[in-house]
Amino acid sequence: MAMKKFINSPDKLVSELLEGFVLANASKVKLTGSNLVVRTKPKSEDKVAVVTLGGSGHEPALSGFVGFGMLDVSVPGEVFAAPGPPRLIEALRLANRKAGVLLVVLNHAGDVLSANVAMQMAKKENLNVKQVLTHEDISVPSRQDPKDRRGLVGCFPVIKVAGAAAEKGYTLDQCLAVAEGMERNMATLAVAVSGATHPSTGAVIAELPEGRMVVGMGQHGEAGCGEQPLASADRTAEIMIEMLVKDLGVKAGEELLVMINGVGSTTLMEMYLVLRRVEQVLKGKKIKLARSLIGEFLTVQEMGGFQMFAARMDKEMLELWDAPCDSPGYTVR
Amino acid sequence: MNLGYSDFVAMFQKAAEQIQANHSTLSKLDSFGGDGDHGTTMLRAMGCLRKGIDETTSGSLADLLNNIGWAIMGVDGGATGPLLGSFFSGMAEKAPADHRADVHSLAAMFEAGWQNLSTLTQAKVGDKTLVDALIPGVEALAAAAQQGRDIPVALQAAATAAAKGAEATQTMQPRFGRAKNLGAAAIGHPDAGATSVSLLFQGFAQGVSSHAG
Repeated sequence: MAMKKFINSPDKLVSELLEGFVLANASKVKLTGSNLVVRTKPKSEDKVAVVTLGGSGHEPALSGFVGFGMLDVSVPGEVFAAPGPPRLIEALRLANRKAGVLLVVLNHAGDVLSANVAMQMAKKENLNVKQVLTHEDISVPSRQDPKDRRGLVGCFPVIKVAGAAAEKGYTLDQCLAVAEGMERNMATLAVAVSGATHPSTGAVIAELPEGRMVVGMGQHGEAGCGEQPLASADRTAEIMIEMLVKDLGVKAGEELLVMINGVGSTTLMEMYLVLRRVEQVLKGKKIKLARSLIGEFLTVQEMGGFQMFAARMDKEMLELWDAPCDSPGYTVR
Repeated sequence: MNLGYSDFVAMFQKAAEQIQANHSTLSKLDSFGGDGDHGTTMLRAMGCLRKGIDETTSGSLADLLNNIGWAIMGVDGGATGPLLGSFFSGMAEKAPADHRADVHSLAAMFEAGWQNLSTLTQAKVGDKTLVDALIPGVEALAAAAQQGRDIPVALQAAATAAAKGAEATQTMQPRFGRAKNLGAAAIGHPDAGATSVSLLFQGFAQGVSSHAG
C-alpha cells in the first residue's frame, strides 16, 4: 500500500521510536526494564506514583507525560495496541511503594483487559495500587452508560491534576479522588476531516471523502455520530462546544478548562480560530473560560481534525492544573 | 486414546501453523473493523506460544499451559493477548496431575479455559467476537466427551463447530472492542478474532490426528 512515512521496519518501529524519544528528552525520561518509560530523576518514595499504559502511535501521548508533576512510569504498547499484562505488572512492581500507585487506564478494550489482569495480580502480590478509568468521549452513548465511552485526550488532564496532587503529597485516596473528580467533570468530542495510515500495516484508518467531516470520530478512526459537510471554524466550534456543555450540564457562572488537541495534520492556525469561537459561545452562556490550551497532546498519525476537551473546574482543580510540571509533552513553569 | 505432554505440544504447534498459513487473511478481515493488524498480532502470539513451549522443561502439563498463557499475554497486541493468554492459563487449572488427559479431562480443560477468559470480557455469543467461535467449540467438545467419543473425533467436532461459529459472525453487528463503533459497516465480514479461534481449533484437531498413537 502507498504509505509516505519515514520508517525502517514495522517490527522495530516502537523500540526505535522509544530510543529516539529518550534521546531527545534525556534530562527528563529514560527507558528501563522491558521498554518502560520512567523519569530520569525519580520522585521521592514517600509520594504516590502515577502509572499509565497505552498503544504507541499517539505521540507525545502517553509516554510524553512522564516527568515531574506528571507520570512516573508509562508502559507503551505496539502501534495503536495496548501492552499486555506482563509489562504492566512489571511497571506496577517497579512503582510500588508505601504511599501507593495510581494507575490511569483509558477505556479501550485492550487497555482495560491488560489492566484487569494486572490488577488481579497486583492484589495477589499485595501491591498498593488503585485504578482510575478515563471514558469521556461523548460521541457514543450517554453519560448514564459510561462503559461504552472511549478514553480520548482527557487522560492528559487527569494525569496532570493527579500528578500535581501526588507531587504535593496527597495520599493515594486523595489522588484517586482528584483523578475521579476530573474524570467526572470532563468531556471530549473529536472531529475528523481526513484519515491516516497505520504505520505498521499501511492500512488506511478512516477514509473521508473531500468536503466532509465526521464529528465524534475516535482516535483509531472509529466511526462517530455523523458525517456531514465540512463546516467553517466557527460553525464547527459551535456544534462541538454546544454538545460538550450540554453533556456536562454546565450552568451560567461555572468555570471551564477547554483544550483543543490537534490529532496530526490540522494546523495551529485553524485551532486558534476554533478556540476564539468557543470563548464567544461560552460568554453568551455566561460560562467562564477559566483556562485554555492548544496543541498536540494525543495524535493519530497524520489524521486531520482535533479533539475538543472541556472540564468543569473548581478552585482545587485549577490550582492542580496550574501547578508546575516538566515532561516532554507538557511543561508548566 | 489419552493425550500426553507431547500430544499437547503437537496440537499447539499445528494451531500455530494454521495461523501462520492464514495470517494475511486475518489482517484483511480485521481491516473491516479494526487496524488491519490482527494477523500480525496473531503471528506474534504464536511466536510467544512457541516460546512458552521451548521454555517449559519440567514436563508438567500445567507448567506448559501457564507458560504459554503468560507468553501470549505479553504479546502487546491489544485485547488479543490477554484474552487468548487467559484461555491457556485457565486450561492449566484443570490439567491432570499425571499429565495425561482423556476426553473428559480434555473437555474440562477447555471449559476451564473459557471460564478464565470469561472473567475478562462480557462478550456473549452474537456480539461478533472470538467468543462466537470459542463457545461452540468448547460446547461441542463437552458434548462429544459426554457421548464418550474418542479424542480425535471430539476435537474434530469442536473444530467444525468453531468454524461454523466463526462463519456465523459474518452477518453480525459488532458489539465489543474497537469494531463496535463501526456498527453496521462491519456486517458482511466474519470477525477476525473468531476466525483465529476457529483456525486454532482446526490446528488442535490436526495435531491430534497426525500424532495419534
